[in-house]
Amino acid sequence: MSRISKNVILALFTLTSSAFLLFQLYYYKHYLSAKNGAALSKSKGSRIGFDSTQWEGWFPVAENMGFQCLKTESKDPRLDGIDSLSGTEIPLHCICKWATHAIHLVVFHGRSGSYLWHGHLRLKGHIDRKFVPFQKLQFGHYPGAFDRPELQQVTIDGLEILIPKDPVHFLEEVPHSRFIECRYKEARTFFQQYLDDNTVEAMTFQKSAKELLQLAAKTLNKLGIRFWLSSGTCLGWYRQCSIIPYSKDVDLGIFIQDYKSDIILAFQEAGLPLKHKFGKVEDSLELSFQGKDDVKLDIFFFYEDTDYMWNGGTQAKTGRKFKYLFPKFTLCWTEFVDMKVRVPCETIEYIEANYGKSWKIPIKTWDWKNSPPNVQPNGIWPISEWDDVIQLY
Amino acid sequence: MDDWKPSPLIKPYGARKKRSWYLTWKYKLTNQRSLRRFCQTGAVLFLLVTVIVNIKLILDTRRAISEANEDPEPEQDYDEALGHLEPKQQRGSGPRRVLDVEVYSSRSKVYVAVDGTTVLEDEAREQGRGIHVIVLNQATGHVMAKRVFDTYSPHEDEAMVLFLNMVAPGRVLICTVKDEGSFHLKDTAKALLKSLGSQAGPALGWRDTWAFVGQKGGPVLGEKHSKSPALSSWGDPVLLKTDVPLSSAEEAECHWADTELNRRRRRFCSKVEGYGSVCSCKDPTPIEFSPDPLPDNKVLNVPVAVIAANRPNYLYRMLRSLLSAQGVSPQMITVFIDGYYEEPMDVVALFGLRGIQHTPISIKNARVSQHYKASLTATFNLFPEAKFAVVLEEDLDIAVDFFSFLSQSIHLLEEDDSLYCISAWNDQGYEHTAEDPALLYRVETMPGLGWVLRKSLYKEELEPKWPTPEKLWDWDIWMRMPEQRRGRECIIPDVSRSYHFGIVGLNMNGYFHEAYFKKHKFNTVPGVQLRNVDSLKKDAYEVEIHRLLSKAEVLDHTKYPCEDSFVPDTEGHIYVAFIQMEKEDDFTTWTQLAKCLHIWDLDVRGNHKGLWRLFRKKNHFLVVGVPASPYSVKKPPSVIPIYLEPPPKEEGAPGAAEQT
Repeated sequence: MSRISKNVILALFTLTSSAFLLFQLYYYKHYLSAKNGAALSKSKGSRIGFDSTQWEGWFPVAENMGFQCLKTESKDPRLDGIDSLSGTEIPLHCICKWATHAIHLVVFHGRSGSYLWHGHLRLKGHIDRKFVPFQKLQFGHYPGAFDRPELQQVTIDGLEILIPKDPVHFLEEVPHSRFIECRYKEARTFFQQYLDDNTVEAMTFQKSAKELLQLAAKTLNKLGIRFWLSSGTCLGWYRQCSIIPYSKDVDLGIFIQDYKSDIILAFQEAGLPLKHKFGKVEDSLELSFQGKDDVKLDIFFFYEDTDYMWNGGTQAKTGRKFKYLFPKFTLCWTEFVDMKVRVPCETIEYIEANYGKSWKIPIKTWDWKNSPPNVQPNGIWPISEWDDVIQLY
Repeated sequence: MDDWKPSPLIKPYGARKKRSWYLTWKYKLTNQRSLRRFCQTGAVLFLLVTVIVNIKLILDTRRAISEANEDPEPEQDYDEALGHLEPKQQRGSGPRRVLDVEVYSSRSKVYVAVDGTTVLEDEAREQGRGIHVIVLNQATGHVMAKRVFDTYSPHEDEAMVLFLNMVAPGRVLICTVKDEGSFHLKDTAKALLKSLGSQAGPALGWRDTWAFVGQKGGPVLGEKHSKSPALSSWGDPVLLKTDVPLSSAEEAECHWADTELNRRRRRFCSKVEGYGSVCSCKDPTPIEFSPDPLPDNKVLNVPVAVIAANRPNYLYRMLRSLLSAQGVSPQMITVFIDGYYEEPMDVVALFGLRGIQHTPISIKNARVSQHYKASLTATFNLFPEAKFAVVLEEDLDIAVDFFSFLSQSIHLLEEDDSLYCISAWNDQGYEHTAEDPALLYRVETMPGLGWVLRKSLYKEELEPKWPTPEKLWDWDIWMRMPEQRRGRECIIPDVSRSYHFGIVGLNMNGYFHEAYFKKHKFNTVPGVQLRNVDSLKKDAYEVEIHRLLSKAEVLDHTKYPCEDSFVPDTEGHIYVAFIQMEKEDDFTTWTQLAKCLHIWDLDVRGNHKGLWRLFRKKNHFLVVGVPASPYSVKKPPSVIPIYLEPPPKEEGAPGAAEQT
């Protein structure tokens, strides 16, 4: 009897399980079709625009030739910085394969600050991960930013195509092209909490600081010196996507290996006289230039140690030296005040080293000798060197 | 896997039968122990497999759902969301091809429900009076249009007739009356309702309630009516419940050739109604225009921002004229829609243009102003290389030579710092005061209504101090303020290159439009060659004005300037009149003169250093304010400047009316 019931139960289990399976299969199909339906109706609203129609027109041609194509689109990052705009999806990548060959089409979009941007090739759920060996693609692991290249027409294999006039420069940019977007959403939340400073003084400062930053960037780019937003300027970018109105200066970082001796002269020629120079190339170098409207440009030089980076500080009165430690970082591009500039890719670690965990809260009084959590006393300059390492103008 | 349990609800039916069947089976197998074992193991394995597959399917379905939800669909306005609901049985393609429709009409409330989904509900007080009309797609049950015609008021019935005539045959029409819908329902409208098969519609009386469902050009599917018993009371509320049979999709659609354009057209026409011949099966209006390219087009790469709200019919008309203008480049056009409205977006998609929606910020004028700011910023972000942007609004017709006009004049904006904008609109360019399409002016006021903005002006001056949302300012008034304009001027044509046709709007109504906009002159001549464009530059313009004034004949100042004979019946002469203008901001006489000339008199427009230029009877007519204007020196000593008394009483300052 017990065996009978065991068998009955087994049979019952099997039966109900199969019934449920059928039921599930039916609904699975249903959900999939519903999902596709939703995606379709969405495309009506968003995939419009002439660019996109041209883009759409491209595929039938490729597909008719026997290519299998995969395309990705995303929302337009150029609208992200503006409150509450939405609508257009822009094409990012397209991969067309034919047997063992694949063509990777990367769509570059022009952005404010006269540079080109391409998006991240994001593999969404439904994309076949083995479509092509994605790891081997040159572009798309990250979003990227490039100088807008001048183009020239060349004929390759009888085909007229455009290539950059300076292909070497373009190719050199590729490995360092990683781009990070400003955190516009978080910035909006920040302004909801702390409100934007709309006073005339704040706006005048932001305007002068922006002009100073643009001038500095132009000068350094001309010299071919890499630099990034540091300290308060970096915090302003990361926290609120703008210049902090009560900061008094613009802060840039440069690796000491990139230092060039004609930097001071170049700034002077650009109309930015040297205000002070602390330290020397071998140790704790820091330059400060006087911009218009009392806005100062501080350039900190960064030194590399075995497991951290640091820059130095000097107290003019006492000759005391300080050292500001940062975890090691690499550089990424971003867009700030209509410009393509670098920031540390590991921004949050960089900012937390400099401002602590509570960097989100605006603080108007900041003592550069005591406030930063990453400051360390670093001895004192020998009096004999003072003339050289403490220069005030 | 252990917690998986079969549903306890599913019990074996006919247990006894099953048992006997099982016994036979058991008997047969008793001696084949190994086979039995095998079967049991097989069953267990099968059970395991189905359980695993079940779980996988459950997980997959869940993921599919959560992915579908992840896509952040924009929030939709309440009625938009409603408008978009599709009846449920569409999906399963079940056999029931019938919609069940409920229509309610009463004094204070109307509603329409399609398959249990409310597609219209209006019980707001003091609004929504008249006949509500809903158009459903006969194949899908989709709401394609929703309108209300306040047929208690005059002319609304004409709009209704126009609309109903545009609806394609076969569509399902639903009408319901709220409050009162008969007072100005004239014979034409009644005849149309009769032709739709309605019995009660043509006989609709004062404060009757009425609900109607019918197919255009087809059968009536239901109608209910309740007469008002007395003048002071309303008909009883009526609730009409009826079934609407759905037809197949093929019947509902036209058979246009399968092209990219027609795919866009089909998508549009299956969604919305009320656009007339664009959805006509036999002879649809084109949606692609190939205007002649403009030789040496200087504005080919200038982005065009079209600022729109929720007036899709206006947007449709506007985009048609814009895309027909010579030298237009459609890929430079972006339409910015203030709000998550579907229908304007559908119009944009019909023409294959780029559309961007904007979550509304703030209210009324400030909302418009925030929308402008976001749109301008976005335009320069999307076209980082652009030095200018053309700003248009959804209620403008664009002249055929709009881009030609800009192409010929845009270099002025680059070369002359004293310029604020180039505008296609002449505030004083009425049919009786504008004449010469080749002529340009410099004016101290900023007309808007189709204009060119310099990027540097926007980025460096305007954007940083644009009015914040809490300031309920009009963007255009703000832009006209001296702090922003800083003495700079705009270039305008004598004959406008845009035409303001909007009569519904934030600051707009029919009367106002009739009085100030309807008679505006609008250029229809293609390829006009502008005359002497460089004389519009700051210093050259002064030379030109002095030349004109020297040539001008002084009018007889003893005559009353409002009289027709003040300007002689000649052609091609230049006349000058001197009016009193004590200070730079003394416009007393000018305002009176503007009033009697029937031109813009609500504030001062079109002046340049106390000088106004217009045409009277095909003569160039200059008005100089003495002594404030530097051109007063041209006044002969004997001439006494005209002084016109303002009306004795300030009856209702007309300051409220402003164009948007």
